[in-house]
Amino acid sequence: MHMSDALVSPAAAAAAGTVSLALLGTAIRKLRPTRSGRPADPLRNERIVPLMGVMGAFVFAAQMINFAIPGTGSSGHIAGGILLSAMLGPWAALLTLSSVLILQCLLFADGGFLALGCNILNMAVLSCLVAYPLVFKPLMRPDATPGRILAASVLASVAALGLGALAVTLETEVSGITALPFGRFLLFMLPIHLAIGLGEGLATGALLNAVRRCRPELLDTGRRQSLNRRRFGRSLAVIAAAALLLGASFSWLASSQPDGLEWSVARTAGDAEILPAPGEAHRAAAAIQQTTAALPDYGTTTAGLAGCGVILLAAWGGTRLLRTGRRRA
Amino acid sequence: MKNRLQHLLGELDALERSARTESPMHRLDARAKLLATTAYLAAMLSLPLSRLSEILLCALFPMIGAAMGGMRLGPLVRRSLAVLPFVALIGIFNLLAHRTPALRIGALTVTEGGIEYAAILLRGILSLAALLVLIGTTGFYPLCRAMQRLGIPRFLTVQLLFVYRYLRMLLDEALCMMRACEARSYGRRHLPLRVWGTLTGQLLLRTFDRAEQIHRAMLARGFTGRIPDCTTAGPRWRRADTLFLAGWSLALLLMRLTSPAETLTRLLL
Repeated sequence: MHMSDALVSPAAAAAAGTVSLALLGTAIRKLRPTRSGRPADPLRNERIVPLMGVMGAFVFAAQMINFAIPGTGSSGHIAGGILLSAMLGPWAALLTLSSVLILQCLLFADGGFLALGCNILNMAVLSCLVAYPLVFKPLMRPDATPGRILAASVLASVAALGLGALAVTLETEVSGITALPFGRFLLFMLPIHLAIGLGEGLATGALLNAVRRCRPELLDTGRRQSLNRRRFGRSLAVIAAAALLLGASFSWLASSQPDGLEWSVARTAGDAEILPAPGEAHRAAAAIQQTTAALPDYGTTTAGLAGCGVILLAAWGGTRLLRTGRRRA
Repeated sequence: MKNRLQHLLGELDALERSARTESPMHRLDARAKLLATTAYLAAMLSLPLSRLSEILLCALFPMIGAAMGGMRLGPLVRRSLAVLPFVALIGIFNLLAHRTPALRIGALTVTEGGIEYAAILLRGILSLAALLVLIGTTGFYPLCRAMQRLGIPRFLTVQLLFVYRYLRMLLDEALCMMRACEARSYGRRHLPLRVWGTLTGQLLLRTFDRAEQIHRAMLARGFTGRIPDCTTAGPRWRRADTLFLAGWSLALLLMRLTSPAETLTRLLL
């Protein structure tokens, strides 16, 4: 789900980056021990620094050991948001997961640098600050059975990845780089990520059950247990609303796209005739663009391209000369 | 799977090795390189897709950076191609949607969509290449220090350093476990979920143990929950850094405000 810089516009990246930075700042403020001394659980707070670091490394390593999802052909790597939230609490999980994403970007160029804000928003914020408190936490109880933990993990992971896929689609659409229509992109992204979410949920559940068996004290289980019942109802309402929303959007998509299978077959075959003529609004926008554009022609000319090619070749030759010169020296 | 772990470890090694070589680019302040790369990305990515020539011209930044840093172009380009699969798939739609002919090279007619598709692919490759040059000539520790000196909170940079520090250790651990698992499962290509759960759970428990040990060690050294600031003493900002940053900012600004491709056309014709 890592977004690369290629499909993001700087404006969209800046907007997502601002949101992510603000939330990261909040997380740091919540976690940093105050001078006056925090009343809440000082032991945990002090322990959380090394635990966060090592857990970040763990998520990194666990992402490398992945199981293939049969059928989709894509190997979804575990994002780990729900797992980290369940063990460190949502804010610490947000920081940890963000640090993992930053490392992936800086060390392995996985996801773009400018798109980092988008990636943190899609993968860390949505799973730690939305799916965890709204879906996972209300479903959990201190005396939860393994089945309940598994179910909560699966639901929360599916919600997190579904939301993430929606966010990726929205950000790509807002950036306006691709000509891919919003509905189609969503139709392409959602099923894949729902499947990945299912896999990730099962994996998270298995891991959480293992932790609970061996080290129950490490789980960030509800401190406010009295609220659990009401929260359960609220989470049910949230899930129902999400399902309604999803169903509605899917039916809307289905009506605008009579045969999904036909479309995907055509897509894989690279057939062009599936693309409909642009709508009225598009045509109007294109006309406006035509009239307002400073350069009526397309901005790229053969000669310009050739010139740039010559310059790049010259620069390449220069660097070669520089290298050989240095080697001799 | 095992190969992915080994691949990752190898990449970490390669990164450290390339960050420790000596070159004019390596000598620059990490802050200058970070800021210049950010400016480059913003300028390059804000170019409209139709301006393929300018985007092509942007390749100068990673090229010159690689040359200054003594990095070879071949591996750089090859690693930059990693971004292509997803981007190429999404970009296809531009190719299909905009079919008005835009220019003609010999007998070949290129459509607007074709230019946009090329531009999208180039954006992906060039942004990745710039990032790879930045990392390869800087290294992770200096980069973290630079981020901190640019105002990123210490809590976050320390977290980054922690993860980086323990990443290699846990990868080694995971590699050992994978090796043991593979020795016992000849011919099995993918791990079933149940085996995966046990394996990763085991890794998780080892991780906790490690965190416990680290925490005790930190306590023994007087850790109270506050992270001491030990990164104030860094390399000083020199004139070369100012020159580098100012030069690239100016060049990028000029590139963005004027249209060098047009000028080139006029010069060539």
